[in-house]
Amino acid sequence: MAILISFDIDGTLEVGDPPGVLTMEFVRKTQEAGILVGSCSDRPISSQRAIWEKHGIAYDFAVSKHQLPDVKAKFEADVYYHIGDREDLDRQYALAAGFEFFWPDEALGEPWLPLDGKSS
Amino acid sequence: MTTQNAPTSMYRTTEGLGVWEHKGKVAAVGIGHSPTTRRWDGTAENTMGANSIFALRQAIADAGVDPADIDGLVLDPVTTTGAHWPEEQPIPMDVVNAYNQTDDPLDGIAKLSAEWILKNMPELKNVKFTMYGMGCMSHAIVVAAQAVGEGRTHTCLVLKSWHNLEGRYNQSGISATDTVPGTFAMSPGRTLWGAPGSYGTALQFAEYCRKYGKSHDMMAPFMANSRRNGLMFPEGYWAQHRPEALTAEDYLNARWIAKPANLFDNDIPIMVSGAYLFTTAERANDMKQKPVYILNHASSRGAQRSILPTLDEVEAETAETGRKLYEGAGITAADLSFENMYDGFALFHQFHLEGLRFRGMQNGDALDFYQTDISIEGPNPVLPSGGNIGSGRSRFWMHTDCIQQIQGRAGARQITGIKPEIGVSGGPMPMGGNFTVWSASPD
Repeated sequence: MAILISFDIDGTLEVGDPPGVLTMEFVRKTQEAGILVGSCSDRPISSQRAIWEKHGIAYDFAVSKHQLPDVKAKFEADVYYHIGDREDLDRQYALAAGFEFFWPDEALGEPWLPLDGKSS
Repeated sequence: MTTQNAPTSMYRTTEGLGVWEHKGKVAAVGIGHSPTTRRWDGTAENTMGANSIFALRQAIADAGVDPADIDGLVLDPVTTTGAHWPEEQPIPMDVVNAYNQTDDPLDGIAKLSAEWILKNMPELKNVKFTMYGMGCMSHAIVVAAQAVGEGRTHTCLVLKSWHNLEGRYNQSGISATDTVPGTFAMSPGRTLWGAPGSYGTALQFAEYCRKYGKSHDMMAPFMANSRRNGLMFPEGYWAQHRPEALTAEDYLNARWIAKPANLFDNDIPIMVSGAYLFTTAERANDMKQKPVYILNHASSRGAQRSILPTLDEVEAETAETGRKLYEGAGITAADLSFENMYDGFALFHQFHLEGLRFRGMQNGDALDFYQTDISIEGPNPVLPSGGNIGSGRSRFWMHTDCIQQIQGRAGARQITGIKPEIGVSGGPMPMGGNFTVWSASPD
């Protein structure tokens, strides 16, 4: 099963401002499990790319907050998730784009794993 | 000592006043800034009041002045960026009691009186003149300049501080109430129930693009240049915390806040304090830094006919501001080396620029001008401070930069394409603000 996960940065990832609960190692392990990963944030796209590159994570996309529909159009997956810390700028955007949504603390439990035969 | 708001007589608000009677007789010498932070961390050592004391002491030391020689203080007592202390939230008395208090426990945390400053800076034992310039540093500067010119004070500190609390911009205070009276709710940026703060500017900019055949995309070089300048401003937020460029791709892919104003056309609220030391031209000669003379100050008090100013009203007002500035300074647009007009919101900077007739510009020319070399290395530096876009919402980077450029202390940001001899700064709004002409020479 193909899975795509979009990460918000500020308030979600440990490198965010404010820092979130999800570590870069968590993202790396997710990516290494064959899941498509990337960021969807209000940070400039160039700065999102710089964060991934600084941590040596082979990201699949880096987009602005309103561009989740573009991600869905570009990448074929069976399920699309967005993880973020804001009701209005994360959850609402995600649901409107046809993504499923997790809060960062929910994501810590990797709730997508049972769906992914390769990762279980 | 009771501190009053500056009387209207201290502002130069109309044309026809002639050359400012104190032209070249008032100078800025010292500069001080606190570190920036995104929000208050709740500690006593990082309150807005603590930042204020830090910035003031920096400015005093920078000027090389004995604090006992300071006899004036002008500041803005309103320090909110849009963050208000929630009524139900207990006030942290350990923080309050870490300082000498006035009768308002939020003084020094979410507001700032001259009394609080003087109670907590015992070295300012000879301050006899205090006054409020309400609104922002642009306001406080013109009040302080006029006060020194009139002889109310001879060595005057000028201060602007900002607090930003936990939570989101403009979503507490009246914004958190269920009902909002009158037309207040409809005004941009006032409440959750009204339009975003940039809505009015966005409407004016949309009309500007329609009238002159321009587009929002044409703003990208100006935005990239402003952030570049900001990243060379070590006192600023982006340079200190997130040294991120803002490329054309970044800008053009940002989401709309009030189309055609996008995310980056709006600034980021921060905690910061900035201070200057003003004095007479005579006293400035004996101080540590090169004096930067004030040739004039002028204020805009435009009246709009409706809830939002129209493009025509904005263009008329900014042109009048330009004429007032030049008349009082006894200069022309051709004498300007550079400009540092306000940019928060980014989409009104061109109104200020065109009003100044900077480099011969007429209405509708600025976005084409942005496609040329507007860098600090070129002959036409635009917003060398980087403004709020470059360093976060302070409304004072532009003034600091004017002083530093003319003193030759702008570091990596120093203008090299021309000799920085006369600069202009001020704001905030095209329809209402306070503006200053700075010069290397008093003449």
